[in-house]
Amino acid sequence: MTSSQEWGAQLTTHLIEAGVEAEEAHKLAGDFLAEAQDAGQDPVGLYGPAMAYASTIAQTIRTATAAIAPLDRVRGPVVLRLSRVTKRYRRRTVLRGVDLTLRGGEVAAVVGANGSGKSTLLNICAGATRATSGTVERAPRVGYAPQQHGVSPLLTAAEHFRLFGAVHGMNGRKSLAIGTHLSQQLGWRPRPDVIAAHLSGGTQQKLNVVLSELNRPDLILLDEPYQGFDQDSYLDFWDQVFKWRDAGAGVLVVTHLLHDLERVDHLLELPRVDES
Amino acid sequence: MEQMRQQWLHGFLDLCLLSLLAERRDYGRGLAERLAAAGFDEVPGGTLYPSLLRLEKQGLVRTEWEPSTSGPRRKYYELTSEGRDAVVERTQGWEGFRAAMDAVTAFEWASTGERSS
Repeated sequence: MTSSQEWGAQLTTHLIEAGVEAEEAHKLAGDFLAEAQDAGQDPVGLYGPAMAYASTIAQTIRTATAAIAPLDRVRGPVVLRLSRVTKRYRRRTVLRGVDLTLRGGEVAAVVGANGSGKSTLLNICAGATRATSGTVERAPRVGYAPQQHGVSPLLTAAEHFRLFGAVHGMNGRKSLAIGTHLSQQLGWRPRPDVIAAHLSGGTQQKLNVVLSELNRPDLILLDEPYQGFDQDSYLDFWDQVFKWRDAGAGVLVVTHLLHDLERVDHLLELPRVDES
Repeated sequence: MEQMRQQWLHGFLDLCLLSLLAERRDYGRGLAERLAAAGFDEVPGGTLYPSLLRLEKQGLVRTEWEPSTSGPRRKYYELTSEGRDAVVERTQGWEGFRAAMDAVTAFEWASTGERSS
């Protein structure tokens, strides 16, 4: 194999790992090699190392195709309504009188300092924690990606898809197909033989996000899922949030980064609540 | 300074390529040479070819492989009708931006007298 062919093979592999369809990856690599040959240059000299170039190209494809087809915004029915939600632990007030109405096709961001009760609020929205007072109404199909304890260390990605799919009444084949497809949208191609414990922190979070989306929920609750994501994946994450929104889901994201917040529909800023 | 020029070009490369292709269809190496002839620094292939791919994916540019009697086949890029509309629209946007830039950078030290000391 010549060094050019080797570069081409590496590019193909990295493109596929970055979520590009195999057929397109092969075509792109062939085209890039031919263009380099026409320019009379080594592919490494012209484009740089295969891995870095694959990452640039995969990113280019994702952002270009996301930009072409912005769907018309359709606001659907209310999928989450919080009215005067308060949470106290003994005498400590964590949340005080939180109101929020989120419809399908909308994105809400929850921001606030550490200790302002962001994760508590998310758990209350998911029904995992009970509010001390106030009411919570939510759509029946909810996807939930908590910050921790979302994945089982000894199971592979495919086993997660089947397990979580079974909870929603899907058969194994369908769960696997949907899970794999959703992973690719996040720029990740799960390998069949790798257990979750051996995935990087960022990839574990991607698995977590995929599991939350498996049942095509009306309401998606995400807790800082970009932690551990690199910068490019962080952008992919927001692309994905807006895709879910355009597909009609209501998305609530707990975040402490203030990027991208001009694109959200609701910004819920939690004050730090002092002891009372 | 060189790094700054690279960053500027990064922001304007898509419009540069669309404009060059509005003049005539071309292949990658040819576009790089025309950019260099216009006075830009050498554009790295790792920047140029992703830009061309983005324009193609956005439907602004279409590509065609042409066989060559001597040497390897060659990929030509040309504007689509959407691409031509985009050139007009983006050029107008750029002109407004350039006017604002000129207005701000036209400031002259000499006229304030502060620098004469």
